[in-house]
Amino acid sequence: MRTIEYLTSADLAGLYWPIVLAGAAVALCCSALSVLVVLRRLAFIGQGVSHAAFGGVGIAALLGLASLGGATHELAMLAIVLCFCIAAALAIARFGDEHQADTAIGIVLAGAMALGVVLIDLAARRALARGEPAPAGVESVLFGSFTSVTETTAWIAWIVALIVVGGLWLGRRQIVFWAFDPGACEAFGLERARLRAVVMVLLALAIVVTMRLAGVILATALLVLPGAIALRLSRRWVTVLALAHAAGLLGVLGGLVLSFEADLQPGPSVVGVLLVLLAAASLAPKIKA
Amino acid sequence: MAEAAIEFCDVSFRYPQQDRDALQGIRLVVERGERLGILGPNGGGKSTLLKLAMGLLTPTSGSVRVLGLSPEQARREGRIASVAQRPTAELAFPLSVRQVVRMPIGARVAPWRRVPEANERRVERAIALVGATAYADRPIGALSGGQLQRVLIARAIACHPEILVLDEPTVGVDVSGQRQFAEMLARLHSELDLTIVIVSHDLRAIAAGCDRVACLNRTLHSHTAPDGLTPQVLAEVFSHDVEAIFGEVHIDAHAASACDDPRHQQRSGADS
Repeated sequence: MRTIEYLTSADLAGLYWPIVLAGAAVALCCSALSVLVVLRRLAFIGQGVSHAAFGGVGIAALLGLASLGGATHELAMLAIVLCFCIAAALAIARFGDEHQADTAIGIVLAGAMALGVVLIDLAARRALARGEPAPAGVESVLFGSFTSVTETTAWIAWIVALIVVGGLWLGRRQIVFWAFDPGACEAFGLERARLRAVVMVLLALAIVVTMRLAGVILATALLVLPGAIALRLSRRWVTVLALAHAAGLLGVLGGLVLSFEADLQPGPSVVGVLLVLLAAASLAPKIKA
Repeated sequence: MAEAAIEFCDVSFRYPQQDRDALQGIRLVVERGERLGILGPNGGGKSTLLKLAMGLLTPTSGSVRVLGLSPEQARREGRIASVAQRPTAELAFPLSVRQVVRMPIGARVAPWRRVPEANERRVERAIALVGATAYADRPIGALSGGQLQRVLIARAIACHPEILVLDEPTVGVDVSGQRQFAEMLARLHSELDLTIVIVSHDLRAIAAGCDRVACLNRTLHSHTAPDGLTPQVLAEVFSHDVEAIFGEVHIDAHAASACDDPRHQQRSGADS
């Protein structure tokens, strides 16, 4: 099996273990959020926030960050993209509940994408004129790149995953109350707007780290499918959370194994495995416990 | 004289970009321990008045005090609780009735602590008081409208508020359901020593469950006991088509006492 070879060979382990570890971190933070994303119908907001990354990537490319090496490049890129995503998330959150946020999402999505495409194109032309290698193109932002994952990426992914999961755990009682009944949580003295903003920031964090690996388009899939799978299997909160984590981890790790074995793109392989799990969950009876 | 639960002092309120006040010069005192009904037509400002009492809106002029505090403070301290007309709850959540009732209590507990045993007992008592024990473990999405209404009231009283505010609690509830609802409110009122404010356009709901009625249509028209809801008073409050309203709610001059009379229910059922 290629997977075993990649992970045990002295030459290849250094390349492939960071991919597996970063993938596990992404699965952890996306699964934790995906139940809320599905139930509170935040998937379209996730799309808007993830597309805001284009603007960040464009600015990073124009600043020539692609020519910097290693961890500095990685951190600078992520910081800029994160700023864009959080700004987009908070802008959308200001519009109130999701029914009113559609317009804001549409504006953020179109504006950031247009800005990103223009800036990436400008950066590519400038690099060409200087005889430097072209920065990562639009395609790498759309579909991500597991193969460029380094040890630093894996570290960042785990730190972000712990922040997201830790934030959700600390605010779990208020966040679940807000997500279940936003109107009532305000009437019971909770800050509805603040809770929404917290969830938006956690969503932006998860999206940034996911899109580095799986791209903008597949980040949305990872934020929806684990929750959708779990909700088809159970009607108990704790069971649903556990199943979402299991589905997310199985989808990401299973997808990586599939991509190693069949020499496929990792991102689509992950989504493919998750879709198979969703189909299986739709046929399975609900778990009572 | 009992200490005031809620005081509205010359309160006016106008929504942004509107050219007239939703409420004008409201002076109203809700005494502690009373059950006040606020009756009025749709668009008469009833829900706005409740939102002002909850501190979810701020008066354009005048002031509101709740148990001697600002409405926001009373709400944050959990001394006033409400059940909204249209719940915003997402019923697809995989939560049991018990988990939903526990939510406001749990939200006040530090994340690293378990919900104390005493609070769990309050949750169980609230569920029992609204008669929801039989379905306490059922998923929230599997309840009927009437059962959901009871669960939301249990959630509101589980925090031991001193004032319970209900916005159109009997919308879509049939005659027998309204009677059970009135009995449940009477039980809550006596066992928890609650001040209850009910807002409704439904005369029967107000007459059956309240000690006093305030008639509201942008301004406060009258305060009266339920049996003082004469056709003249109602004509003034609803300002038009009073005959149609009478037909809709089947009320006569003896509405209040008739609501407790099974014969009235039979007649109402036959009429509808």
